[in-house]
Amino acid sequence: MILTGEKIKEEVANNKIEINPFSFDRVTTNSYDLTLGETIIRYTSKIIDPKEKAEYEEIIIPDEGLVLQAGDFVLGHSAERIGSDYYVPLIHGKSGTARMGLFVHVTADLIDIGSHGVSTLQLYATLPVRLYKGMLIAQVSFWVPFGDIVLYKGKYQNSIKPQPSMTYKDFKYDIFKKVD
Amino acid sequence: MILTGSKIKEEVARGTIKISPFSEEQVNPNSYNYRLGPILKVYKSFDGEKSLFEEMKIPEEGYILQPGQMYLGHTKEIIGSSTYAMSLIGRSSMGRYGLFLQVSANLGHTTSEHQWTLEMVAALPIRVYPGMIIGQVSFWCNFGAIVEYGGRYGRLNRPHESFVPLD
Repeated sequence: MILTGEKIKEEVANNKIEINPFSFDRVTTNSYDLTLGETIIRYTSKIIDPKEKAEYEEIIIPDEGLVLQAGDFVLGHSAERIGSDYYVPLIHGKSGTARMGLFVHVTADLIDIGSHGVSTLQLYATLPVRLYKGMLIAQVSFWVPFGDIVLYKGKYQNSIKPQPSMTYKDFKYDIFKKVD
Repeated sequence: MILTGSKIKEEVARGTIKISPFSEEQVNPNSYNYRLGPILKVYKSFDGEKSLFEEMKIPEEGYILQPGQMYLGHTKEIIGSSTYAMSLIGRSSMGRYGLFLQVSANLGHTTSEHQWTLEMVAALPIRVYPGMIIGQVSFWCNFGAIVEYGGRYGRLNRPHESFVPLD
């Protein structure tokens, strides 16, 4: 089951959903609209190797905006801190940004229950697009879980800006284990 | 409703969810992390009706996916459920590198059970390793009577190109 906008408002008031800052006029029928935060991460490594720490640069979006060219991939973040210990959030594009050919995630739409922080957006442009800080860019929906809840305690907890991938930290957990 | 990690473990033990091989350390708060299987199909050409792929085994030192290409991979695990619907997606750590694990076809039908084909598109050149944890699958409660999946893909264990040109 997916929460309605009215239920999202109630659960924010009950502290069962965290959205900060929260504004009633961003509540939609089944979701909450997220705006783009000011920091962008662009990888500078020529080839990504998940076993190594990738190199990247941080860019602050200027007032006149930042243009992504078709084929560009960068990480952005929601200006809002979001999370819930009671519901599972899912990130979606907004139809307005999608119509400009902009992906806001790269199939990883699911947020773990118990994960709190600004949400890292995986921005992939299929057409040239100009990004402005504070623009409406994505939406988050909330889903009812089934079963006992064990809260997220992962490496991206409490993000305050976009977090590049940390797969290199997984190495010790045998993430790259050989296939039989 | 989406199953929590604890419920996924319970249902695997009950047999209503099949994940094989299964490892408790790959259970997330509301999904299961799957691994990349060893076979990759690399696009070679288009014959006017269908894309032709060349099959390869991903070497232990990894294989670099190039942007602008689509590759067919597969999950190492057999994944399925007699009871729940599934959504197969990337994990955030791979999404943060710009790696798509499917091309908007995330929905896994109840009663399908196989090693899933992955439609991999890389926004940046990225090295992938056989057996690495690459994506996640979530399980969702159904509402309504279940009719068994009758499709062609849901029993295939190797990466398989589209049947559409044959239809």
